[in-house]
Amino acid sequence: MSDTAQQSLVAAASARPPFYRDAVVVKWLAQVVTLLLVLFALFFLASQAGDNLTAKGIKTGYDFLEVDPGINLTGTIDNEPDTGGRALWAGAVNTLRLSIGGIFIATLLGILVGVARLSSNWMVSKIASVFIEYMRNIPLLVHIILFFAILQSLDKFGDTEQVFNDDGSPALDAEGAEVFEAVQGPINGWLHVSNKGVSFPRVFPADGFYQWLVFILIGALIGNFVRKRRQAVQDSTGAETYPNGSMLGVIAVFGVIGWFLHPIFGWVGGIFGAIAELVDAIPPSLVQVVLTVLAVGFAINWIRRFLDSRRTPAGLAKLTDDDWFRMIFAGVGAMIAALFIWVIWPGGSSWLVNSGRDFFEVAADKFGDGRGSWTEDPPIDAMRPDIEQRGRFANPGPAGLNFSTGFAAVFFGIVLYTAAFIAEIVRGGILAVPKGQTEAAQAIGLRRSTMLRRVILPQAFRVSLPPLGNQYLNLTKNTSLAIAVGATDLVQVGQTIFNQSGKSLEVFSIWMLFYLACSLTISVVVNFFNVRLAIVER
Amino acid sequence: MSDLLKSDVDLEAIIAQADEDEITLRPDEPSLPPGEWMRKNLFSTPFNSVLTIVFALGALWAYRAILNFIFSENTQWDAVRVNLRLMFTQAYPDENYTRVWVSLAIVAVLAGLSLGLSKVGRGLSLKKIATWCFGWGGLIVLGVLLREPSVKTDASGESVFADANGVELVRDDLGSLAYANGDPAPSQGLELIRESFGSAMGNRTGWWIIGLLLLAVGAAIWFGLGDFRRRNTFVPAIPFGLAGVGLLVSTTWWYGWGNYTFSEEGFTYEPGELVASSTRNPWTVVFLVLVGAYIVGRAIQRTERAGTVRAITNLSWLLAPFVTFWAVLRGPVLDWGYVASVDIPLYLLFAVGGGLILWMLTNPHIGEAGRIIAVVILAIAAFTWISAFFGWFGMLQKIRLSILFLGLAALLAPNFKGDAKQRMKLIYGWLGFITIFHVMVTLINTPSSIEVPTEDFAGGFMVSIYVSIFTMIFSFPLGVMLALARTSRLPLFRVMSTVYIESFRGVPLITMLFFFTVFVNLFLPEGMELSLFAAVVVAFVLFSAAYLAENVRGGLQAIRRGQYEASDALGLTTVQRTAFIVLPQGLRVSIPPLVGQVIATFKETSLLAIVGVFDFLRMARDVIPAQTEFLGVRKPGLLFICVVYFVGAYAMSKYSQRLEKQLGVGER
Amino acid sequence: MSINDATTAVNAELAGRDDIIVCDGVDKWYGDFQALKGVTATIKEREVVVVLGPSGSGKSTWIRCINRLEQHQGGRIIVDGVELTNDTRNIEKIRSEVGMVFQSFNLFPHLTVIDNITLAPIWVRKRPRGEAEQTARELLERVGIPEQADKFPGQLSGGQQQRVAIARALAMEPRIMLFDEPTSALDPEMIKEVLDVMKELANSGMTMMVVTHEMGFAREVADRIIFMESGEIVEVGTPEHFFTNPTEDRTKLFLSQIL
Ligand SMILES: Nc1ncnc2c1ncn2[C@@H]1O[C@H](COP(=O)(O)OP(=O)(O)OP(=O)(O)O)[C@@H](O)[C@H]1O
Ligand SMILES: [Mg+2]
Repeated sequence: MSDTAQQSLVAAASARPPFYRDAVVVKWLAQVVTLLLVLFALFFLASQAGDNLTAKGIKTGYDFLEVDPGINLTGTIDNEPDTGGRALWAGAVNTLRLSIGGIFIATLLGILVGVARLSSNWMVSKIASVFIEYMRNIPLLVHIILFFAILQSLDKFGDTEQVFNDDGSPALDAEGAEVFEAVQGPINGWLHVSNKGVSFPRVFPADGFYQWLVFILIGALIGNFVRKRRQAVQDSTGAETYPNGSMLGVIAVFGVIGWFLHPIFGWVGGIFGAIAELVDAIPPSLVQVVLTVLAVGFAINWIRRFLDSRRTPAGLAKLTDDDWFRMIFAGVGAMIAALFIWVIWPGGSSWLVNSGRDFFEVAADKFGDGRGSWTEDPPIDAMRPDIEQRGRFANPGPAGLNFSTGFAAVFFGIVLYTAAFIAEIVRGGILAVPKGQTEAAQAIGLRRSTMLRRVILPQAFRVSLPPLGNQYLNLTKNTSLAIAVGATDLVQVGQTIFNQSGKSLEVFSIWMLFYLACSLTISVVVNFFNVRLAIVER
Repeated sequence: MSDLLKSDVDLEAIIAQADEDEITLRPDEPSLPPGEWMRKNLFSTPFNSVLTIVFALGALWAYRAILNFIFSENTQWDAVRVNLRLMFTQAYPDENYTRVWVSLAIVAVLAGLSLGLSKVGRGLSLKKIATWCFGWGGLIVLGVLLREPSVKTDASGESVFADANGVELVRDDLGSLAYANGDPAPSQGLELIRESFGSAMGNRTGWWIIGLLLLAVGAAIWFGLGDFRRRNTFVPAIPFGLAGVGLLVSTTWWYGWGNYTFSEEGFTYEPGELVASSTRNPWTVVFLVLVGAYIVGRAIQRTERAGTVRAITNLSWLLAPFVTFWAVLRGPVLDWGYVASVDIPLYLLFAVGGGLILWMLTNPHIGEAGRIIAVVILAIAAFTWISAFFGWFGMLQKIRLSILFLGLAALLAPNFKGDAKQRMKLIYGWLGFITIFHVMVTLINTPSSIEVPTEDFAGGFMVSIYVSIFTMIFSFPLGVMLALARTSRLPLFRVMSTVYIESFRGVPLITMLFFFTVFVNLFLPEGMELSLFAAVVVAFVLFSAAYLAENVRGGLQAIRRGQYEASDALGLTTVQRTAFIVLPQGLRVSIPPLVGQVIATFKETSLLAIVGVFDFLRMARDVIPAQTEFLGVRKPGLLFICVVYFVGAYAMSKYSQRLEKQLGVGER
Repeated sequence: MSINDATTAVNAELAGRDDIIVCDGVDKWYGDFQALKGVTATIKEREVVVVLGPSGSGKSTWIRCINRLEQHQGGRIIVDGVELTNDTRNIEKIRSEVGMVFQSFNLFPHLTVIDNITLAPIWVRKRPRGEAEQTARELLERVGIPEQADKFPGQLSGGQQQRVAIARALAMEPRIMLFDEPTSALDPEMIKEVLDVMKELANSGMTMMVVTHEMGFAREVADRIIFMESGEIVEVGTPEHFFTNPTEDRTKLFLSQIL
């Protein structure tokens, strides 16, 4: 180094600046102080809540999940739940039903409307656009309540009609009286719409369904193998070998065979039974230890890998404050996890063990043998809606898929509302495919259908997927509006419970956990497809 | 989660563009002759023809059903007519109603000024007007033809019935039904008789006139359009719209809409009468105020001062909700002694003291001392809050808040150092802010003179609209702050904001509303309570801020790195960079989704009905059907609020599309 | 005059001036990639230094470390007697004394040309607005586009934008100007107008550090040329020395590729 450089270095040599001028110190100080203030505010609120609850004589705790809630539900899997937890679960199942069914139907309808909106036919496109604008610009809750009001004002359930014999004479019963029978429109025995709600034919898994699933699974494995082989042949020889068709064929063959032979897989249940016993034998403390080791190990591994990535041939690169923070964060995370496992919720591990055991027990039961016979019981069954006459009152019978008025209002409300948004997304997705793509596809002589299937739709789908995922999230959250029309869902059950027990915060925390879990699941699933599509595209 | 579901393609912009292309009836292009148009757009292939016919039949069927419902004598529109006031302002007392009109007039002044000051657009093309006339005229004529004949009435206006065999019945002297020969009518199997098709058509003269008039106007314009010059003619949109509103308002003076009122004495039904003067006069005044303000605005628009007045108008828009809500509608009863002895001295203390401190801090030569002073003030603020927790010093909440605001302003102050003019700007900003804050707090703390049976004087549409507006105003800064934190380089800020945003976006709004209406008072110290109205506003603000933050984040992420680097290289501080470079660019990109969020909030206010607020929806769902006259009558009210919500949301979404286009032009 | 004589003469000339930028063993990592490896150099007042080197050699990284757009992790950088550390006061001082011009202009698209130029003088230098605008118009005059003052950047051609960017940097009255490939994003016919402005600036005695691929400019205007490769300074010399008689093989290879 030259002398002059040396001199100026000496001249400029400076000590570390005072802390209030040190960029790094100021930056971290600001962050940490803010964090502390936020934590303090939260702590302040929490302690207030604690004081207020004690003053009111309300005990906090999740014990209500274990005791009889003393409430009756309608239209759930368990209308007389014996514990609070079971009641909430019954509500949650309804929420899931609404969400999953809603997502499927709204997607189908949305795609239809979206394509219709793009149709070159003016009439079709205008009607689709009126539907979309009508649905989108009116609050969902207003839709739901309007549907509810309309359904409620329909004719009462079950018109009575006289039954006639084939020759036209009135049918007589054993005592010689004329026979009357309840009927319900608009399509008797298929679709019932009345002030009692809506009933559809129902398709449901019957005995032996799960054993049949085993067949399908085997079929899928073999089919996938076949598909790969055929694809390889097609790639090497260029001959059309219909790889996807063959796979579907194989699955179909297995499905058909399994339709009759499903009882032979009865022993699968035994395996699950054994697993259930095994799980039951695990001591909870072992679970705690394993979880802790996993958490700590994960953090350590992460830090190690992180440091490795910062290692250079010239030794460890200088770590920035961001790097430090990340490592501290990983460490703190592991500590919090351990704290949670051992101190905050030590019962969690036995809960995990019990849930695991219950899960496998249910599976053992479902897959167990002795269900159905070789010839008589198909694994999937269907029933048409019926009418149950109790004295003078007609009610929807148990055979059909019955939506109570409230449930139907919510379901159709969220389906139609979301479908309108999905339609716009689909339309946007198709419009987003550049014109050049269509032209290029035509230039290489693709047929219109091939072009749609291979060029336009895959690209349209890719850009539509993230906003679609957002609509699915919205739909799931919107199911909570069921409460406005008295349909049972998680929020409604929760509200009933905290009105009775005063366990407001606990119920609220369960709501939050449930919906956050749903949101996360949907995000992850949609993102899974998103990533796959992105890779396929490249 | 939101990161997982992030799209790199802006579908909304694409759709807006497509709608735009569809709507713009390129006015200067000649149009296809009808036959050709139909061949091209309706019957291009056999399949298309079938589709057209099937869909057309379906649409006709639905249209007929809707019309039949609307015009059916069983639909009790009286439930809406009589309860209009109830639906919009709920139990706001009649003797104070001037306050409502004053509020409306304030809005009208601002709206008129804004319209007048707005840059004159191209206006409506004649072609568009013609299509519009055709569309509505056609719909009306079609409706006249489609609707089922109404029930036949006899001379006294009673419905006419027939027995099961179709023999018409008459009414005897006592008014009960009988055969023409005097035999008593059977008690069962009676049916209403409808007019014949011919007389039904004859009875719909008014509708015929309107429909045919529209069609004629459309046709007149259309056939003139062959001329190229006419095709390029535009009608100024705002005067055209104002004239339309004027026409509507003028009808209250000469057309018998009917006088329907609902007061403590009961209902008044006077079909065919003029509208009550208590409705007609105020509306007329409001309309005149609107037009007057528009004319003034137009005059100012041509002068030099237009920019200044526009800025003042925009600021007034921001203040108007507070002024109308707290000062006008709420009718506060001030305790002048307290105001003079406590409020005003406190205000002066903070205004003058704060102003002096800020003046000092913006001195260009203050150096790090400025930052230290700011931190000291912030520390004092934090201490006042912490001491509240331990119950050490009792003091008015507004003192704590004022100190906090002063600290924040002091922290920002060094970024606004400069010459005296520059410094005064910050001081003025502070004075304006602290004045508004103190006035607001004083007003909020005074009891209201409006006596209503419900907890709050605001109800019906009024509560929905105010909740939307307050949500918008308060959630905007919060959302922007969250977005900035989330895109910040400081990891702790990022984590905190992410946790906040994701937890609020992950749960349904209704659970948040439950939380804030049911539990929130559990979390507050003794003696502090949130009213229902405040609680729902807080819930909406916190919830909406999380969504806003994501929209703004999208805009912030669209800013290129070079912009940050350039501002750093020029030596701008972080605050300056954010205020002058990042936010102006980021917000501009996120305006369309922000308007979308406003629409969403407007629609979501309907959820208030579930948590016990007497909002717009609740009027139709619960209140009207509980009136003895309209027991169980829900559908008319619900349809009415559907229309109001639709008009509001649709207008906003169209406005947002226009805005987007304008911004696109501005960006270049 | 032989090349060596010229070099000696230049060195002698420079020796009399003060150091304005001193880099001593500057290291910079991106993750585990070392972008700068012990860069040591001294730049004198009123000197024009052109930095050359193949793509990815760390030229931009170095020049950006000098006004702390990037933080160096090892060694020291002293600009105008102030060391670049975490001291906020120093950073503020350096930023307002060092102007920078980017390859992609980085004008603020939402501000007019005049607002682009006056923003920093008003808010960082605390100039009254009127005075700042006056200066801005003079600068626009100087870079040859006085008539564009009220347009938005998007309405200007690339060459005009880059000249506005130069004016924006000059408005802060910097003692040093850094240029990072100011002409690379420009169409050939616009390059000259920008280079002319830079030449005029160099002649007026501004200290300049220029990363560029314009060899003509380097040859004509530079007092010294610094050649970098893989994060290291390979060779330093006068343009004559550098273009006609480079000592290092890597320099020769580079020159053979571009000339
Ligand atoms: N933000 C960054 N993160 C990681 N690596 C980076 C980053 N910026 C630069 N690099 C790497 O550092 C090296 C030097 O980059 P630099 O931009 O300084 O090169 P350059 O000499 O300016 O090249 P060019 O002539 O292409 O502009 C490159 O290998 C580059 O990949
Ligand atoms: Mg570079």
